[in-house]
Amino acid sequence: MGLLDPPGFRRNRHGHLWMHLQEGERTLLTQLLDQLGELLAPPEPEQPVDPLEELVGIDPAAVRPADPALARLFPDAYSDPEAADEFRRFTQRDLRSTKLEHLDLARATLARKDPTRLSDEEAAAWLGTLNDLRLTLGTRLAVSQDGPEPFLELAEDDPRRGMYLVYDWLTYHQDRLIRALDRGMPR
Amino acid sequence: MSVAPVEDVEVADRSQVETPWVCIVWNDPVNLMSYVTYVFMTYFGFPRAKAEQLMLEVHEDGRAIVASGSRDEMERDVTAMHSYGLWATVSRSQ
Repeated sequence: MGLLDPPGFRRNRHGHLWMHLQEGERTLLTQLLDQLGELLAPPEPEQPVDPLEELVGIDPAAVRPADPALARLFPDAYSDPEAADEFRRFTQRDLRSTKLEHLDLARATLARKDPTRLSDEEAAAWLGTLNDLRLTLGTRLAVSQDGPEPFLELAEDDPRRGMYLVYDWLTYHQDRLIRALDRGMPR
Repeated sequence: MSVAPVEDVEVADRSQVETPWVCIVWNDPVNLMSYVTYVFMTYFGFPRAKAEQLMLEVHEDGRAIVASGSRDEMERDVTAMHSYGLWATVSRSQ
């Protein structure tokens, strides 16, 4: 993969996965990952944490997040609110850890030289993290099935316009990554 | 040597008891169709045709049952779907 290739993720003819980004893209992705990290960071526990509960991954304080973006990243697993809350107490801590591990792995690859060869684990981490970023921005923007039109009609100085352009750019990169990963799957 | 009695009725009942739960994936406007297909192939090991068919069912009908089994198994599948960012719920089979 050369520097003149279009930016993005790609699987070369040897089957290796590569990430090639422009300098500005790396900077923006680093900022976005930092923001996602802050959003995902566990809240300070109000009660002392029971070490046994922590060991087995139980979070007795886990509740449906008030922030709609977080509620989308940590959705209810049951339509019944009580069953959903109980499930959360047993699973939310692990799900948060998984997302933060993906984020850390992805962020670490941004510090390497461009173009960057990715391991399968790193590519999977990027796939999860790009999706978390798109879910977050998509929820903030209230993206619907209507496509880009409502956002392109916004005034130049409307902050949602810029946010939509970032969302669209993340979609481009995620789509390229899926294509690259898909080249390793059975037809 | 004895022969175990044949219990057709019980066998039929047991299969109902053993698979009363399902994992449902819901449509959402953010996840890409190619991504949903990729997740179904990667996590469930579905062949491409089946993964695409289920993805289209989610997209067009708003939801699809992607797995059935014990409650524990369905909770595991739903947790995995959430880790991929898909919107999924566990439900008792109708």
